[in-house]
Amino acid sequence: MTTRAERKQKIVLQSIAFIILGIAFVGLWHELKNTRATGGQPASEAILLSALSSLSNNLYIVLSMSLVAILLGIACAFYLEEWLPATNWIRRLIESLVAILTGIPSIAYGILAILIFFSYADTLKEAIEAFPVPENIEVIPSEIETTVFYAEALTFILMVMPLTIKTTQEALRSVATPIREAAYVLGASQWQVLTRQVVPIAFTRILAGGCRSMSRAFAMAALLVGIYTWHYTTEPGRMSGRFILFLSVALFLSIFSSTLIWIHGSDSAQHS
Amino acid sequence: MNHSIETENLSLWYGDFQALIDVNVKIPDGQITSLIGPSGCGKTTLLRCFNRVNERYGNVTTEGKIEILGKNIYDPDVSLPELRKAVGMVFQRPNPLPISVYENILFGLRIHSPMRSITRTESDQIVEEALTSVFLWEDLKDKLKIRATSLQLEQQQKLCIARLLPLKPKIILMDEPCSALDAKGTLAVEELMEVLAGTYTFLIVTHNMAQARRVSEECIFMFLGELIEHRETQALFEDPKHEKTADYVQMRYG
Repeated sequence: MTTRAERKQKIVLQSIAFIILGIAFVGLWHELKNTRATGGQPASEAILLSALSSLSNNLYIVLSMSLVAILLGIACAFYLEEWLPATNWIRRLIESLVAILTGIPSIAYGILAILIFFSYADTLKEAIEAFPVPENIEVIPSEIETTVFYAEALTFILMVMPLTIKTTQEALRSVATPIREAAYVLGASQWQVLTRQVVPIAFTRILAGGCRSMSRAFAMAALLVGIYTWHYTTEPGRMSGRFILFLSVALFLSIFSSTLIWIHGSDSAQHS
Repeated sequence: MNHSIETENLSLWYGDFQALIDVNVKIPDGQITSLIGPSGCGKTTLLRCFNRVNERYGNVTTEGKIEILGKNIYDPDVSLPELRKAVGMVFQRPNPLPISVYENILFGLRIHSPMRSITRTESDQIVEEALTSVFLWEDLKDKLKIRATSLQLEQQQKLCIARLLPLKPKIILMDEPCSALDAKGTLAVEELMEVLAGTYTFLIVTHNMAQARRVSEECIFMFLGELIEHRETQALFEDPKHEKTADYVQMRYG
């Protein structure tokens, strides 16, 4: 049942989402135009190169960043789906953004995002380092430049999170309302309903969604590594090995996730 | 006579739509009371007020007073888990949890007691008692480990009643409990209710007027959010005081 007011709200939120993305893309275009005008290389190219090379050398980066992004995405999806009412405008806005972002092919997305973030890498670094962090914790492996790390991390988070949010939300929605109601009327709190019924039932789907998102991250990494290899390195043999490794991981993860869903089927999620 | 549920000028809105208008009702203790009325008249809404499960749907405003077992359930110190322990609910479609029969019956108890506080012997006994009182023990005693969703619908619905019992509720609300069952299943559930009435207070929403006549001692007729008539079932059906009740019970519409 969508009322007029709801449809209006949806349109407004979709437009806001579009505007946010629009600003991001205009920023990129501006950056590229500037570099063309000055005739030089993009200021960010050096950083970009070092990012690509660090990506090529580190399976660890892709793995850890997408893991962080997936966990953030799952947490975000739980909050949206279970705590915010469906009419909440923040939820609507995030859902519209997610809907747009998941539709963009990972390669287009990855390269654009990397260009944007790397153009503003220094600002980004300053912004992030404004947050106080305990000094004895070493988050970033020492061989990676911090500027690069932040930009890469944000790229991955922005690419992996929307897909994770979407798949997790779908997984949570697949748990039929009667199951939740049954638990509620027996006196379960929201937390108990989640931990004892919803999560166990939706677990496979959430896991499958996580795998799908990670597969997306690896696919993007593979393509970036491919580009880097073909253009910048003198040792294509080693690099193409990395390229194939990333691609196979991506392929494996996506097949694994479909298999999970396929085996799991509609078994327990729906009420017969 | 004691009353398990009493409402005073209860009104409820879904957004701008008023679903209940000044409902005053007293449900007697230890009896079966049925709620009848055409679709959309607020029967289910009224039922769902009594364990405050309405609030989950958001955009709901309630006014007035509901006293259950002598306590206003909208008092700030009321704990929802405790309220729902005392007031059980059975739904239109059987909704056993997708876990084993055994665990279904223990689910309620487990969420209300600390982890691992129920011993194996205790839980075996609780399950046996609950299943025996709904006449399922003989059928299911060898199938306690199977998934509850794979049972027959009739057994599922009985199981949904059985899983309330370990919590020792005082009131059991039923929202068209037989509409997904065949004639035999309906009869079985009705017999079960008659056996359990006395120990528990039943409030049953039904579209089946024959059923209301068969099982209930008192009957409430609702129309467009208002309580029209509340009398003994026999009297309500044979000698309705209100014109709308007469129209409905004689099936002129609805």
